[in-house]
Amino acid sequence: MAVTRRNILSNATIRDQFTSGANLLKQESSGRTTTDFGMTGPSVDVSTYDLFVIWHYQTMMTLTPPGNSSGRNAAHRGSIFLPWHRVMLMLFESNLQRVLNDATFGLPYWDWAADGDKTPGKQKQSKLWATNCMGGSGTPVTKGPFGFKSSDPASFRVRIEADAFGQLRSVNRGLSRSFATSGVATLPKTQHVSDALALASYDAAQWDADSDGFRNRAEGWSGSAVEPWMHNRVHVWVGGDMLPGTSPNDPVFFLNHCNIDRIWESWMTNNGRTYLPTMTAPANLVGQRIDDPISSPDSTTTPRAVLNVSSVYAYDVLP
Amino acid sequence: MTRKQLISRERIVEAAHPRALSGFLASRPMPMMHHGDGKVEGVREADHKGHHIVIRTTYVVEVDGRTLDLPLGVDNDGHVHCHSLPNYQFSSAIGLVKQIIDTFPGDFPKPGKPPKTPPTPSPHDGMHMSMPMPSESPKRKKK
Repeated sequence: MAVTRRNILSNATIRDQFTSGANLLKQESSGRTTTDFGMTGPSVDVSTYDLFVIWHYQTMMTLTPPGNSSGRNAAHRGSIFLPWHRVMLMLFESNLQRVLNDATFGLPYWDWAADGDKTPGKQKQSKLWATNCMGGSGTPVTKGPFGFKSSDPASFRVRIEADAFGQLRSVNRGLSRSFATSGVATLPKTQHVSDALALASYDAAQWDADSDGFRNRAEGWSGSAVEPWMHNRVHVWVGGDMLPGTSPNDPVFFLNHCNIDRIWESWMTNNGRTYLPTMTAPANLVGQRIDDPISSPDSTTTPRAVLNVSSVYAYDVLP
Repeated sequence: MTRKQLISRERIVEAAHPRALSGFLASRPMPMMHHGDGKVEGVREADHKGHHIVIRTTYVVEVDGRTLDLPLGVDNDGHVHCHSLPNYQFSSAIGLVKQIIDTFPGDFPKPGKPPKTPPTPSPHDGMHMSMPMPSESPKRKKK
């Protein structure tokens, strides 16, 4: 039976399950060490949660095709952005269901546009950042379920980070956030979501960060000349650990992407379960086309296979 | 599209198990985007009125006299991007490098000071051998 994904601010039980589940995955060993993933330095155990940090990083560092100058990769800056993250969220949701022992749990979303309609000051005071939800900002974040306590090794820790030069390294520190200090002052607004949903085409040539279409607007490369938009803007507004390619380090990553997935679901409800590019696209788009395997443990998963997920989950409300 | 072709909960549970996900990740080499020589080369191509355009760009980025291996590129609209900052692009490489310095201050020590490296965790720092591991991965049922 399909689970229902809800607004994290609408249901305290789901909110608490999400924060509790994320911490449980942080405390669960994946059975692998950093050495297994080619990281230098001492070999350190890797948690199940941190597998998602590594997966995201590995995938976004895989250019499709190799060496392309546009930066199109197996997770971002191309058509695959929405399908790949949909798969990632489903696998994360499945792990939460497992550790929570609740097969009915649905990953919650953060309706950031509702906060974006508020004044800049009120955006920082959203209930999302309350101590009973995601905690606030800081380096480190010290409050809430993901707050850092130096005397408590079970408190939420960032264990893997990227350096400026694209290498992963082991760390043991608290989570970092810095609202509205990294290049944008405000979150996206409801009007921006409506504008994205009004775009009729999923994507278009050249299938990268310069394309017209819904995907590129939702990802956040179009809509403004150079400012980050939509999904990108949320990353940049939160700041701190949401900025590098290891951004799943912040659990709010999953709430942001769940909302983007909800917006995509709305777009498909209105425009049909269509995807571009098709398999007639040239070989330099391998990894982006509708029947190409998505970079995941299940090599049979393709964009086409995740256009209709009604047997797995549904959203309580579509924008 | 048939129901069999669509992703199913059963397939998700199987792929999501930490053993499956970690095995998949460990089987792939960590991608390297730079060559260690400080040069980043990009090739942009376009067609216009029957003509084929190729623009080759080489970036060599220095900060405080140090040549950096940054995984950056420039797209056909001239925006500069860097995989270290996947949610940004810039109209100027200078703007990009400024943001890199702001985001990764530990990698850019003040001139004359050694790089500030993060504390190196011990092999089981914060993670314990007694920490629980997930149960066996569910087997896919044969149909």
